[in-house]
Formats: sequence, C-alpha cells, structure tokens
Amino acid sequence: MINALRWLVFAIAAFAMNFPILVTLVTSFKSTRELSTNPGLWVQAPTLDNYLAVFQVSDRLNIFLYLFNSITVAFIGTTLAVVLALPAAYAIARGRLGERTLLPFIVNLRAVPLIIFAIPLYMMFQWLALLDTRLGLGLILSIVNLPLALVILVNAIRDLPGELDEAALMDGASRTQILLRVIAPVCRPAIVTSLIFGFITAWNEFLFGLMLTTSKAVPITVGASFFFAASGGGVQWGVASAVMVVGALPPVLLGLIMYRQISGSMTAGAVKG
Amino acid sequence: MGKISLRKAGKQYGTVEIIRDLDLEIADGEFVVIVGPSGCGKSTLLRMIAGLEATTAGQIVIDGRDVTEALPVERKLAMVFQSYALYPHMTVRQNMGFGLKLAKLSSGAIKTKVDAAADTLKLTPLLDRYPKELSGGQRQRVAIGRAIVREPVGFLFDEPLSNLDAALRVDMRLEIAKLHRTLGTTMIYVTHDQVEAMTLADRIVVLKDGRVMQQGTPYELYEKPANLFVAQFIGSPKMNILACKRNGDGQLDLSGQGFLEMPLRSDAVPVQLGARPEHLSLVAPENGHCRGTVEAREYLGGTTSVFVRNPELGLINVSAPAETGFGIGETVGIHIDNVRLSLFDAAGAAVISSR
Ligand SMILES: Nc1ncnc2c1ncn2[C@@H]1O[C@H](COP(=O)(O)OP(=O)(O)OP(=O)(O)O)[C@@H](O)[C@H]1O
Ligand SMILES: [Mg+2]
Repeated sequence: MINALRWLVFAIAAFAMNFPILVTLVTSFKSTRELSTNPGLWVQAPTLDNYLAVFQVSDRLNIFLYLFNSITVAFIGTTLAVVLALPAAYAIARGRLGERTLLPFIVNLRAVPLIIFAIPLYMMFQWLALLDTRLGLGLILSIVNLPLALVILVNAIRDLPGELDEAALMDGASRTQILLRVIAPVCRPAIVTSLIFGFITAWNEFLFGLMLTTSKAVPITVGASFFFAASGGGVQWGVASAVMVVGALPPVLLGLIMYRQISGSMTAGAVKG
Repeated sequence: MGKISLRKAGKQYGTVEIIRDLDLEIADGEFVVIVGPSGCGKSTLLRMIAGLEATTAGQIVIDGRDVTEALPVERKLAMVFQSYALYPHMTVRQNMGFGLKLAKLSSGAIKTKVDAAADTLKLTPLLDRYPKELSGGQRQRVAIGRAIVREPVGFLFDEPLSNLDAALRVDMRLEIAKLHRTLGTTMIYVTHDQVEAMTLADRIVVLKDGRVMQQGTPYELYEKPANLFVAQFIGSPKMNILACKRNGDGQLDLSGQGFLEMPLRSDAVPVQLGARPEHLSLVAPENGHCRGTVEAREYLGGTTSVFVRNPELGLINVSAPAETGFGIGETVGIHIDNVRLSLFDAAGAAVISSR
C-alpha cells in the first residue's frame, strides 16, 4: 500500500517535471492541421513530416551543420576546460597555490552574468578574426566551463591522501608523471563529471552562440530558433518542436552513457584497511 | 651499501624547530628503530631522510654522498607508509612495478623482479588484484613488496603495522625481521609499539622534542637508561620512580620510608630511584625496604600487577607471581633488587653507582 502510494507520488512528480518535454515530444509528431484543432497530450495521426522538414537542407537552414558545430564547440569547450583545470587544480590542492584569492576569484566569475563579457569579447574576437568560427566559440565555452571544472577537480584532489603523491615521488615519478599517471586516473570520476557538466553547459549555451556566430559556426541552440519561422508567417510549432527534440538528444544520450563512469569510488583500497 | 649519516640535521617550520642539531650514524645493514612520544618529530625525521621534507639545517649523507638537497629517488631509499599509499587504479603487479617502469626497465626485467618479490612475500596469487580487493595485511605486504623490488640501499618504515590487528601485527613483525635477515639492508623504523622496538631493533633511538635522548641496544636502554625520560619511556609497564636522598652512611634514604644499601661514587647526588615492577617483590611487612598497603591488583595471566600505596612514595607497581596471596587492604613489604635499579640526579640524568 505504502509502496503503491510512493510510486504514485513518484509518477506524478516525474510527470509534472517532465511536462514541457512531453508536450514538445507530442507536438513534434502532430501535423500542422492537427495542431490547430487538437491541443491535447495525444496524437490522432502521428506524422514524421516535421522531422523530415528539419532534416531538409536548404541554403538558409542546415541542421547537420548546426549539430556538427555544436558537437565541435562543446568538445573544444569541455576538453580544453578540463585540460587547463587539471594541472591548475593539482597546483591549488597540493601546492596551495592561489588557494586564498585566485580560486575564489575564478569561481566568482561564474556568478557574474555572462552578458557582461559579451561586448568586450565581440570586439576582441573581431580583431582576432575568431568571429563566426567554431574555434572561437569553443574557446569561450572553455572559459565558461573552467570554474566549475576547477572546483570539482580541486575538491577531488584534496580528498586524495598526500601519501599517494609521496609514494610516487619515492618511486621516482616527476610532478608531471604524478599528475598524469597517478592523480588523473584516480580522479577519473571527477574528470568525467566535469566533462559531462561542461558538455551540457556548452551544448545548451545560447548567448555567445547568438552574438559571436552568424552562419558558418552557428550552434544548434541558435540554429533551432531559425526553424521557428522558417517559411514566413507564424511560428511553426510542429517543426520547432521537432528541432528541439533533435537538439536535446545528444546531451541526454551522453548523460546516460557516461553516468556509470561517475558512480563508484576510485580511491577504495588506496589507504588503510 | 646503505650507510646513512645525519650531521647536525635540523628542521624548522617557520619559527618552530621540530628537529634540532641531530647527529645520527646508521651503519650499513643496521636495523634502527626510532621511538618517542607523539609529536616529537619521528615522522618528520624519517621524511627528511627520505627527501620528502626539506632539511633546513645540517647535512644528510648516504654512502658518503651529501644528499641533503637530492630528490627522493636519487637517495635510493624506499618508504613504507602507515596508510600503505597503494595506487588504487593499479593491480598489485603494476603497483610493485611502477617505480621500475619509471626507471625505464624492460618489461621482462620488471616481471622477473616483481615475481621474485611477490614470491618472497607470498603475494603471487594476488598479483592481478586491485588494492581494494585485498585485506589490510595483504595491502601492507604489497606496500613492502613495492619497496623491495627497487632494491633500495635502505628502507624507511613509518609505523607500518599500526593499522593491523594484534595477531596480524605479530606475524608481520616476524616477517619484517626475517626480511631484514635475508636482505641485510639498512632499515629505519618508526613505531609506538614497545614490543616492535625491543624485538626488531639492533639499536633504538629515543627522541623527545626533536632531540636524541639516548641511543643504544634494546638491552642498554632497558637496563641502563641514560635519563629519567628514557627510563620511563622504555618498558611496559612503566618503571616506578621513587624519591630518595643520600644520607651520611652512604645509604639511600627512601623519603624516610626505608633504607637501601647502595655503594655510590662520592660525588653522586641521586634524588630519584627507578625500579621496574619486575625488580620489586612483595615480602612480609617487616622484611622489605619499605612498606605500603595493597590498593589494587591486576591479574595478567603470567603475572599479577600489585599496586602498593605508600604515603610518601606514592603508588608502586610490583610485578608479583600470578597466584600471589597478598590481597587488597593488606600491609606488605617491598623488596628492592638493588643491582638492577637506576638512580637519577636533580636534572634527570642517570647517576652511576660504583658497581
Ligand atoms: N607542515 C607542518 N607545519 C608545522 N608544523 C608541523 C608540520 N608538520 C608537522 N609539524 C609539527 O612537527 C611536530 C612533529 O611532527 P611529526 O609528525 O614528526 O611527529 P611524530 O613524532 O611522527 O608524531 P606521531 O607519533 O603522532 O606520528 C609536531 O609537533 C607537528 O605539530
Ligand atoms: Mg608520525
């Protein structure tokens, strides 16, 4: 009885929280005609027309390019952030370098509305010829991702016993070797966590995509908005929903695949008994 | 090879001196145990020798080479940590071979050495396991294995057995002693455990506040402590310390509670007498050197510790036969074996009796 109630509550909560997603999913399978007559949560005549429209490449719209752009910039923005954050986190956690001022400063950057950076960045990027390039957008995203990655990794490394480093020192490892061959593998769950959060942030980023790209490097978030009024006239809700579903799939899949990597402690067995 | 010398070595954290002016000569193949109260600098000293902690004064010399500024690996020492510090993402084989791999040995050579070490330590069936799949004792063995494969000139142990249960500790203690016999390598071993210190050491170094209070064989420290601190630190149960005074007849006056015949050098002025519980015995009240009332008894199996209260001398612990007949509240005499006692002057230094 209690159990059944629990499941009921769980189902209601899951339904309520995922309501927008359900609506989008359902809408994406409705024809334009059905949309004007049936606002409900069911589909009378499911159609793939909206998806076909989304995957139709024209001179104005190219979903494949947007997806490719998003994957590329998210990849750059995520890996670069972690590659930069790992040695920095090691220095902060072990050398206590910049622990008192630099770390809080960098972390606080994340609290500032990103729009503040947009205008100076636009001018800088113009000068560096990075406007409307995947590299340019990727670099910005890595800066956006850096603070969180840094915090996650500093905490992970702090949790490791210092004797681990010392054992490696006695074994003749250099600092770089300790970082790459002992610390990094042991911190794998934290690294994967930073990568997932970074990827999700980068994938969903809209502001810089809108400001810093125009055609060649447009990411999916910005590209999706192009579909809303693709054929003139009002908003095409069916097509808009379909493009959003397509755009949301990659991070969801990634999350599901990578989640297993996060769980499970890597340090088990390192020390004591 | 494995001669380690510390010459006026010192360690300061900011303005706090942890180790000062420490001189220590460790011969090749010697087993030196460092003991001392918590916080006296034992770990610090070991880490200075290892090169994990910078030496701020003096020199550390290994086999004639000044290594004060050298990296840990250049000192050719291996360390076994209290927490084992195994690499959790590597198998036992990889843990043991990591140092050799960094030294760029061929994988064939690494395998030979790891297999040999695993054989010595009975680790062969565990080589493909991860540390989390091992018991505490097995992890400790792997940590020792990791140290021996590198064929160091000396081993450093920082309380290696303190995380193990009592039975396993005895086994590992014997195993370390055996390892020392077979390898014949210099070992420096920090411990809190009296039994480990007494049984393993060729020489014990007693440290207090970063200074050496005394060093010598376990026998010397136990029988001839150089000062009050060592007398009370070495030995369990602790040595009894009784106030005393030299009187005109060349006898020792036990705070007016009794007298003890004791031939002394003319210039000696002992004020305290140290007697281990096993060097005291219970006798009839009229026969002892002093007397008191039995306040408590602790049956230990082999012996019984009898605590006798004397109004001037305090509580005296006497190690009596297990079946001793003296009961609580009884007045007893205490006989002091005047051959095996120690005497200390006002500064706490040992006073040499004339025999
Ligand atoms: N990084 C440090 N900064 C300042 N003081 C320190 C530092 N590390 C250790 N100390 C001090 O040095 C002294 C000696 O420490 P150490 O760890 O060598 O003691 P120990 O003899 O090994 O003690 P224990 O038996 O408890 O392990 C202690 O008083 C400790 O507070
Ligand atoms: Mg210690």
